[in-house]
Amino acid sequence: MQIVLYLHLHQPWRLARFRYLDLGSGRSYFDEPRNLELFRGIAERSYRPALGRLLSALEAHPEFRCSLSITGTFVEQADRAAPDVLELVRALVRTGRVALVAETYYHSLAFLLPPPELAEEVALHRQMLWDRFGARPKVLRMTELAYSDELARFAESQRFHGMLAEGWEGILHGHPPTHVYCAASAPTVQLLLRHYPLSDDVGFRFSSREWSEYPLTSEKYAGWIAATPGEVVNLFMDFETFGEHHKADTGILEFLSALPEAVAVHPRLGWATVEEAIHLPPRESVSAPVTVSWADQNRDLGAWLGNDLQRSAFEAAKKVGVLVEKAGDPELLTSWRRLLTSDHFYYMYVSGHGADAGVHQYFSSYGSPYDAYANYMNALTDLRQRAVARLR
Amino acid sequence: MVGWEFPPHHTGGLGVHCYELCRELTRLGHKVTFLTPFHGPFTPVEGVTFRWPGSDPAVDARLPGTYDFGPGPGPSALAAIDLYNDWIGALPEVAEHDLLHVHDWFGTVGAVRAAHRTRLPLVMTVHSTEYDRSLGHPWAHILAREQTGLDHADRVIAVSRHLGQQLRERYGVPEGKLRVVYNAVRPSPRLARLEHSRSIVLYVGRLAAMKGVDTFLRAAQRVSEHAPGTLFIVAGEGPEYPRLLTLAAHLGISDRVLFLGHVSEEERDLLLASASVFVLPSVVEPFGIAALEAMAAGVPAVVSKTSGVAEIADSVFAVDFWDTEEFASRITELLRYPELRSAMGARAQWTALKEGWAERALQTVQVYGELTGGKGARTR
Repeated sequence: MQIVLYLHLHQPWRLARFRYLDLGSGRSYFDEPRNLELFRGIAERSYRPALGRLLSALEAHPEFRCSLSITGTFVEQADRAAPDVLELVRALVRTGRVALVAETYYHSLAFLLPPPELAEEVALHRQMLWDRFGARPKVLRMTELAYSDELARFAESQRFHGMLAEGWEGILHGHPPTHVYCAASAPTVQLLLRHYPLSDDVGFRFSSREWSEYPLTSEKYAGWIAATPGEVVNLFMDFETFGEHHKADTGILEFLSALPEAVAVHPRLGWATVEEAIHLPPRESVSAPVTVSWADQNRDLGAWLGNDLQRSAFEAAKKVGVLVEKAGDPELLTSWRRLLTSDHFYYMYVSGHGADAGVHQYFSSYGSPYDAYANYMNALTDLRQRAVARLR
Repeated sequence: MVGWEFPPHHTGGLGVHCYELCRELTRLGHKVTFLTPFHGPFTPVEGVTFRWPGSDPAVDARLPGTYDFGPGPGPSALAAIDLYNDWIGALPEVAEHDLLHVHDWFGTVGAVRAAHRTRLPLVMTVHSTEYDRSLGHPWAHILAREQTGLDHADRVIAVSRHLGQQLRERYGVPEGKLRVVYNAVRPSPRLARLEHSRSIVLYVGRLAAMKGVDTFLRAAQRVSEHAPGTLFIVAGEGPEYPRLLTLAAHLGISDRVLFLGHVSEEERDLLLASASVFVLPSVVEPFGIAALEAMAAGVPAVVSKTSGVAEIADSVFAVDFWDTEEFASRITELLRYPELRSAMGARAQWTALKEGWAERALQTVQVYGELTGGKGARTR
């Protein structure tokens, strides 16, 4: 049984308050000082200590492996706020036992836009990974772990050998997520499917005192993994799980450090990077005619495009994209791409009272989804005006 | 219940609050004697007995005619208020009740005296403070009456957290006896939206300095640069009217601002059915029931951050009262983005109606129960 630990590093360029009356003022849409301040805080609490612990674990345990994805917007902010974090990532990659995963540079919803935007953003990301980390990833993940038959065909067209997706019953139809599968629409693309119960035990439940399994020790957790049938268990999480979502005083960092040791007790268990795991022979093919993601209870795109505000903002962004492309100004294109980062749409989600409401509020940088929408639309309207001005 | 104004003759949230609270209390099986200096006629509520001192015509003639004192009550109004308080303090039938509940400062002196005499627990609800009403230039004798009530009340109810904080900081009310019970609105028969060729931005409320209507006008000037054709309606009357009229002329927007004066409830409902945006720019607004009425009608609201209504709704835009540019931006955003208007309006309606006066009365009875040892349900 191979354990694939994959952690996702991302920070969006959050918007400044951009008032309707700021249209045409030339003000920046993005609040750089605030973004960098937030980044420094998370670097202190999570990136620096948790990357350090991964590095120690790699040094102490030659069998230990992990995989990371790291967005372009994350790297841009790290360069300005905490470059040592990138140095740590490079040190991890140099061990040869850490794989990097490809995605869109902007962590964007480009997969819902007409081609060639998606291919361009993935190419930008690949270039960045090569330039900054000397990595040429073979495995692709889409924003928010979105996956569909069409996306598998895209991965194949871009010569990826594997993709990551949610191990969701809706596409597994009774099969366990602990095998390697291949894409029904693109058989050369191997699929690693997130084991969400085990992933969420750490990602969501670790620090919850109401949880019957609290406190979770690395020994107990390794025992659960060892008791899981199959060839591969895919533990996919946000990197900020370690030190930010669960703060250091919950013991999450010690848990991470102790995991390789606890796993070593079980002869059945080993570690693999995503690139190693895709070489396991696939059991079956999996088809996803409709896009699935790793978010919320429904595992669909509802967290980003579930309500009228989100859909209208996305449709407006699509239209502005046509103008921006025609205008041919790289600065406008960059702004537009940053506005396609999925987080902006996530902030416009109108919470009900379900289990997901708290999660959405936690991640939002706005007082309300209405605030998020109005601000976004102002920035987008300004961008459209600038593009139109260039075209005149 | 020691009150002041009561519908149909009321000018603010105090009268509405007392009326709705009385209605719900009687529905819960309580009996209420409502004390007021005025002789009515009042909107009748079954189970509520109205008492006023003016059964003696000589006394009645010396009582004040109106709630709205303008900048502050003169000596004759104060003398009348003293008369009201003397009457409350000596009223024998108070002893037949389980609890005394006084609203704002008007009757505090009499209520404290009556509570002391009868050893009844005393609850005081604060709807606004003298600091707020006078924009920081309080009348000492009104402050003293507020302080008397707050010092002696066994529980103090504020209509918002923000107001409660002020009571702690300015009047030294201990945290332990402070409670918050918000205002509510009654679901009214909803009118279908009325579509007009021009978008309407609406203010409904008194034209008093604390209401910040000048910010509304200054924002209107900025909005009309970005959303030409918008009509701004100011519904309400008050001492600021001449100044606001002059300001509109000075800003060059007289052709797009309509001053309607006092409007009836029916007229207000029609205005709400026509409005795209409601604005409550108050410098000070302990609660802001007018915004909640707008929300209940599905009209998205832009309110000042200090207003109590902003505490219970994520579906309003809350803005610093002095920030004209932000008010103008928020109004323009709601005018320019129809999806925003409809999503926020729908959410606002749900928020405004999910807890009504019945819930507020239950919360009030809970406060009574803390003092009557669970006898709250028996209070007459």
